[in-house]
Amino acid sequence: MKRHIGRVLLAVALLAAAPALADVNVCIWGTITGPDALVNGMSYGTHDYFQYLNQTKGGIAGQKVNALLLDGRYKLDEELKIYRRCVDQENAVVINGWSTGSAKALREQVQQDAVPFVSETFSSEVLDPVKYPFVFIAGATYEQQMLIGLRAAKAAGAKKVILMHGDNEYGRAPVTVVRKSGEIEKMGLQLLDTIEFRYDAQDLTAQLARVKAANPDIVYIQSSTPQTLVILRDAAKVGLSPKLFIGNMYNISPTIPEQLGPAAEGFRAIQIYANYGDPIPAMKEIEAFKAKNTLAKQDLYYMKGWFKGKVIAAAIESAIKKNGGKAPADIKAFRKSVRDELENVKGLDVGGITPPVTFANHQGPTQARMSEVKGGKYVALGDWVNAQ
Amino acid sequence: MPARPARSRALVLAAVVVAVAACFALNRFGAYLVHSVAIAAIGALALNLLTGFCGQISFAQGALVGIGAYTAGNLGNAGWGLGAILAAGLAGAVASLVIGLPALRLRGLYYAIATLAAQFVIEYLFKIAEPITKGFSGLIVKPLVLFGRTLASDQAYAALAVGVLALTWAALARLMRTNVGRAFLVVRENELVAKGMGIDVARTKMWAFVVSGFVTGVSGALLVFTHRLATPEAFELPLSIDQVAMIIVGGQGIWSGSLLGAAFVVLLPEAIQRVGEAFDIAKLLFAMREMAFGLLIILFLMFEPRGLSALLRRLARWVAGAVSRKAPATASPAAASAEPLGPRATLAAPNTRTQSGGST
Repeated sequence: MKRHIGRVLLAVALLAAAPALADVNVCIWGTITGPDALVNGMSYGTHDYFQYLNQTKGGIAGQKVNALLLDGRYKLDEELKIYRRCVDQENAVVINGWSTGSAKALREQVQQDAVPFVSETFSSEVLDPVKYPFVFIAGATYEQQMLIGLRAAKAAGAKKVILMHGDNEYGRAPVTVVRKSGEIEKMGLQLLDTIEFRYDAQDLTAQLARVKAANPDIVYIQSSTPQTLVILRDAAKVGLSPKLFIGNMYNISPTIPEQLGPAAEGFRAIQIYANYGDPIPAMKEIEAFKAKNTLAKQDLYYMKGWFKGKVIAAAIESAIKKNGGKAPADIKAFRKSVRDELENVKGLDVGGITPPVTFANHQGPTQARMSEVKGGKYVALGDWVNAQ
Repeated sequence: MPARPARSRALVLAAVVVAVAACFALNRFGAYLVHSVAIAAIGALALNLLTGFCGQISFAQGALVGIGAYTAGNLGNAGWGLGAILAAGLAGAVASLVIGLPALRLRGLYYAIATLAAQFVIEYLFKIAEPITKGFSGLIVKPLVLFGRTLASDQAYAALAVGVLALTWAALARLMRTNVGRAFLVVRENELVAKGMGIDVARTKMWAFVVSGFVTGVSGALLVFTHRLATPEAFELPLSIDQVAMIIVGGQGIWSGSLLGAAFVVLLPEAIQRVGEAFDIAKLLFAMREMAFGLLIILFLMFEPRGLSALLRRLARWVAGAVSRKAPATASPAAASAEPLGPRATLAAPNTRTQSGGST
């Protein structure tokens, strides 16, 4: 009992006092509980990669990594609070944040604090290496994903397209950017309609009937897995084939074929990272880690998390090496050095999760490939295509 | 005996000055927590005035915070300093007045539903009024400039929020000692009796809406200058629910209940997180956190509907009683001062209130 009281007192003390500076502190927050928890493998994967390094290599360059995973709950105020804890109390050398909203709200603050900030967002609004030199993302932007999907459709003979998106920033902004760019017309496609729907809609039959009436060759969906489930379910109701639909990288969830069965067969999505279970070197690392630990998630988003872990670890390792094999004692200098080394990541082998990556562009992989649901699983179609 | 109130006021003023100054001694994380609690408490004070003191339940507080935030954000970006915060209050007051109009004909649950509808309408307006709100992309807000100086640190925002909280609390407590404040209490207890006493019920309710809306708008202004981004999602129904939870947990009709409830709602998730980390069960507690919060609200409603304030008073009385039992000769003053509920708090107890619904 005394031991428990001691622990509670310790927890209370932690609220007031900053912990001692560990060798290398990395702070990760994700939606562990909240509306997009379905894809939180992105956070678990990064956290687990640092645990894997601690268990197999004694950390990075011989220095233990203290990786803290926190729950941002997809709430802006919670994420802003966690950011301050990471910078101020945890002395994190790198922060891995979550939402587009928090990345936008924090982008100026991140520059002032001069802390490397890797966000899960693919929003082009935070991607500006000159204006926001400390902000990084980890893949093709939503706009680039949309263009890859439409180009693939065009190559397969499509002529008429409809865009569907949710009524929020994530849904509306990329569609607006692509429409205004004129890229759709430049690639010889005719945009028949743009259909916006409530992000939390549970029935989209009316919208799908509108799609059917327009008779497009392809429908690109800018939404997340829960909305795509509703779209494909209601498409089946009105007699539309899942082959008509293409989604972005947040639609490559195993949940879609698992829940929809035949109604998902032929649905395509953009794939930036390898599938969980693919025969790649990174999977051997994950299997080795899994043998001694429990994995919270086993999906493509976990692969993204593992990928980010590899990139961040490479940058930290370079920073330590350049400091004579020891982590710089001054946290500000350490952060600056890690930022520089993130930017210097060039042709890094990430175990096949993506092709070798370069981060001078602050977004890493700009390649993607189409993936199609076949026999209840996502199967890659062709090779990686560069979005640029 | 004018010396005692004057001395009490001086003590309170000194405590506020110390609290404001202490914000500058905090680290950033601590300052952010103080700031969050203070802003939530300002919002809870506003709702407590409306609900706890005047009997008008509202589920549109989130929308009013948003109106204050967008007003202050736009005006702050245009170079307004203190004026942006005051304008946010005025915008909140006007919006609250409009939302309150149905209260002239509706009461109880029916009026609560009307405020819920207002919440949804305003949420939608935030999404489509792009010239003002920037729609889904959100309005990026520059740091607040006060008297020619840019407030850049979390400590400065915490000090500002604590100062505004103290001012608001003092002003609202003062208001309750006026005829308008007393009329709030009578209207809350029974509108027919209020009419019988010659109180203009409609005007009294409108005053409650205006004052509550002003304070809520100010809380929105303080919020947006720290968040630096205003998006429609930030001002949706869950924010309104949180504020209702604050006054339920803290205590309706008791000013200190607003602060206690705000501190509880804002700090509970953090406390659970830290306990989880200490016991190495953080992942387990992630999922249990929301459940624990809901469960605590239910427990408060069942066992202590007057909230934390009443609970603390009972605790103080119990401690005083225990001390007096040990030393009966010396403890009587403490026991005598431990009266848990004065006339104001007795009126505030929800289970003593006459609630009726429907169109009037």
